[in-house]
Amino acid sequence: MADPALLRAEDVEFSYGDQFSLHVPEFIIPERSVIGFVGPNGSGKSTFLRVLAFLVKPHKGSIFFSDDAVSFDNDEITRHVTFLPQDPYLLKRSVFENVAYGLRVRHDHKNLGERVRGVLRQVGLSPDLFAERQWHELSGGEAQRVALASRLILRPKLLILDEPTANVDRESALLIKDAIVLLRREYDTALVIASHDILWLSGVAERIDKMVQGRIAGYVSENVLPGPWSRKSGELWSRMLPDGQVVRATAPPSENASALLSPRDIILSLKDPEGLSARNALRGHVTAIAMEETRESLTVTATVSNLSLHCRLTVQAVRELGILPGSSVFVIFKATSLRWNERDSS
Amino acid sequence: MDYLISGFIGAFKLLLSGDAETYSAVITTIAISSLSIVLSLIAGIPFGFLLGYFNFAGKRQVRAVVDTLLALPTVVVGLLVYAFISRRGPLGELGLLFTILGVALAQTILITPIVVSLTATAVESLDKRLGMTLATLGARGGQLAIATILEARYAVLIAAVTAYGRAISEVGISMMIGGNIKWHTRTITTAIALETGKGEFSMGIALGIILLSLALIANSLLIGLKRRN
Repeated sequence: MADPALLRAEDVEFSYGDQFSLHVPEFIIPERSVIGFVGPNGSGKSTFLRVLAFLVKPHKGSIFFSDDAVSFDNDEITRHVTFLPQDPYLLKRSVFENVAYGLRVRHDHKNLGERVRGVLRQVGLSPDLFAERQWHELSGGEAQRVALASRLILRPKLLILDEPTANVDRESALLIKDAIVLLRREYDTALVIASHDILWLSGVAERIDKMVQGRIAGYVSENVLPGPWSRKSGELWSRMLPDGQVVRATAPPSENASALLSPRDIILSLKDPEGLSARNALRGHVTAIAMEETRESLTVTATVSNLSLHCRLTVQAVRELGILPGSSVFVIFKATSLRWNERDSS
Repeated sequence: MDYLISGFIGAFKLLLSGDAETYSAVITTIAISSLSIVLSLIAGIPFGFLLGYFNFAGKRQVRAVVDTLLALPTVVVGLLVYAFISRRGPLGELGLLFTILGVALAQTILITPIVVSLTATAVESLDKRLGMTLATLGARGGQLAIATILEARYAVLIAAVTAYGRAISEVGISMMIGGNIKWHTRTITTAIALETGKGEFSMGIALGIILLSLALIANSLLIGLKRRN
């Protein structure tokens, strides 16, 4: 059974004059869930996240927290939700005071020093080196992690992050990911994360929603194929799946890089297309077929070994193949269709 | 020129010998200015915060009034306060005329607009992300206000130092409300005016040096604060 809703937004509308309008008929954040958000700049992601964080009051609609309708001045509830913006602001104080601030305003002073030091360690900052540093003595990545630490220490029921890895180095991105995964595991915190980095997001989110022009436009079905990869011959690399099948790829930026594969770059076949070079033909079976919102194509989900791959086919193509959930199929795509994340190259 | 040179020599003698009359004026000046700055900060910082933090109908008009009051002539404040606290005035029974408290209250009226205006500007120019950061960390009501003023602390201190500089150097209020009473309400500025009128340059120059020194200290502080800000 799915976890009950921690937060539910109903018929939420917000607009900036005639230029932009946000309209979300329904949005549910289940308890302990991790929801990703992608979308182009100006699509309304940040505004919607601020509404969910009780920082911006919607012009219309209601928000329910644990089934209770929320008034924005209800501190008891709104303090369970905290938000980390893309470019966080640090108070003009020491790192220690920045991290401790949220607890101080809650008059929660118990073991404050130890808790601050613990959460700094969680985000990869040595308390001995950083606790007494001033706000202006930090790099961009360090400042982002201090801002994250000041949210983690609150152990919120819902943490909302807007592009948490946009302006940070790779090490900081990994530490941020580890810290939020730990928060969810240890304290059952639900997470909503907006990011342009779909690979990073795929590594943490259970579901990724797409926002376009102020509307939630369905789920993202980009396929992610994680490493490790090994060189096969020349420029051809491969990754062996647990059932012994091999995925072929072009040279990855690093052995552990993850590859993205568009659902449009996959075709399905009932027969093994023999004699193909630099092309993948993996045996699997169909687990789901879903109609897309446009009703022009279908998303067919096929399981290959431990991978679940989505491919987009026309209704006509699915009819001609005659496939149903449970059907055995070959999932075919070119090695050159796999795209690498630039972040993995550093 | 001789009288000026002898005036400077006399001034240093007065300062170095610890002349009681000279130092009485200095202590009175510091006492009045300190009291007025404390009162103006108590009144001005909250009002400046409200003016800078919130947007409301008529805000621009209120701001225009406050900014106009920055140029308030000291003699006009003196006149108004005198009218209220003189024996015939509505507050005459309080006996504030020719007292240190009376002068301090009038100076508070003079310098509070400086604190209000500079605090409002400081709050307005804070990073727009501050309010959201404080709110998402759980700050509410008074906590938000205190944290916001703390973020603007250097600019608020600049406001305080600027206001203090105005208070110690004004003469109109001190003369009209204080009455320039020796050993009681005589301040540096009123003493300079009196002694110069009498042709006693030594004491005038001695007090002028002290006044300039106080102004120099205040300005050095101001420059340091502006650099930190």
